[in-house]
Amino acid sequence: MRALEPWVVQPLESFLAESAARLTLLMTSSGQVVAQHGFSRSLDVMTAAALGAGIVASTDELARLMGGATFEALVHHGQRQSCMLAAFSTPRGRWIGLVVFGPETSVGIVRLFFEQMIQQLAAAAPREQPAAPMLAENFETELDSSLKALFGR
Amino acid sequence: MSATRTALDRVTRVPGVRGALVIAAADGLVVAEQLMDGVDGRAAAALTGSLVGRLARTAESAGLRPPAFVHLRGDAGSVLAAPGPDDLVLVAVVSPDANLGLARLEMIEAAERLI
Amino acid sequence: MSLVNFTAREITCKIVYYGPGRSGKTTNLQYVYGRVPESRRGRMVSLATQTDRTLFFDFLPLELGTISGFTTKFQLYTVPGQSYYNATRKLVLQGADGVVFVGDSQARRFDDNLESLQNLQDNLLAQGVDVRQLPVVFQYNKQDLPRDLILSHEEMDDALNFRAVPSFPADALHGAGVFETLRGVSELVLKRLAVGSPVA
Repeated sequence: MRALEPWVVQPLESFLAESAARLTLLMTSSGQVVAQHGFSRSLDVMTAAALGAGIVASTDELARLMGGATFEALVHHGQRQSCMLAAFSTPRGRWIGLVVFGPETSVGIVRLFFEQMIQQLAAAAPREQPAAPMLAENFETELDSSLKALFGR
Repeated sequence: MSATRTALDRVTRVPGVRGALVIAAADGLVVAEQLMDGVDGRAAAALTGSLVGRLARTAESAGLRPPAFVHLRGDAGSVLAAPGPDDLVLVAVVSPDANLGLARLEMIEAAERLI
Repeated sequence: MSLVNFTAREITCKIVYYGPGRSGKTTNLQYVYGRVPESRRGRMVSLATQTDRTLFFDFLPLELGTISGFTTKFQLYTVPGQSYYNATRKLVLQGADGVVFVGDSQARRFDDNLESLQNLQDNLLAQGVDVRQLPVVFQYNKQDLPRDLILSHEEMDDALNFRAVPSFPADALHGAGVFETLRGVSELVLKRLAVGSPVA
């Protein structure tokens, strides 16, 4: 499991233990990964987050067009595994959870403990915003050489 | 839906029953409910669905048939569950002074007629 | 908003390629995808129509390398260019750390460029983002076409680049200018992220 900030770890661990979810991804509404469990490749996590955030943004817009409140959760039932997407408020802004689970648990259990995690996250979030990183004065040189290496130049 | 409503009416008439639900066991979701204040239907559906599913798997692995009735007893009351057809389960939340015999009888009969 | 993981020392930034339909936004990502080693990029996701026009967005995650001790990851997105897809454009634009405006250098697309740039400003404003505060670079694509069909780098700058932000001529199909554009926007985004450093 990986989390951007340490206060996210305990609520997420407790959710994973109770819900028996296979994969869990917490992200901002713009698709930036905040925490994840179960993904092996970090670049795949980013793709899953981008797609999940896109789906939630679309359904929010759809709900708005239909004149209603936003959808609480979106569940895709599959044969072998299912997927739940749900947006929620945190002191750090609106986040989205993407949970993949199998027949060893149920959508009811996942939703129940997901809601518990939302409450725990709200209680655990520190008031102060995270600091910005200090980049070295010569970061442009590093950026240049990184990009050149990336492009094989 | 009238079958589920009839089932809930039968069970909630029993003295000491604080609420009854019909749940989809595999999903752990509420299909229909009649609950008194203070009973969390969504939590009851999720947890009882999981419990019944696990008990059924346990029984199966021991070469037994799935349970026809489940009684989970606690200090402040009991949760009763009667599996019915099509993965539906009739659930009741009862207080410690409830008439458990009558509740069991009504639940087993009502669960058989859920659809 | 860029995300910074101090424990793992990681920075993740979202870059959106914006511009009119068929200006070459997806082509930019495809070129990057083709040039970057597999270990440094994720899958390129294209949510496109049957005729390969972007329907929702294209997405390419990249691992840039280590900058000031932080593993720096970029998420490159494109928006659908056609004017009627504005709802999805707005969604993709949410939380962008930087924008590459890919203009079509063909003279006949002049109005489309202006309309798309105006649309970018409107959509940012609707999200409470002042375009002057957001790192933006211009890329003038299709500079390889015959001179009589296109506007020059300077002419494109005069038409679109009122704030004199960095701008790059490009031929995204063959890769010219793609690297320079990505470098330009990366620098602005990281500069903005660094404490106290003003955005150019």
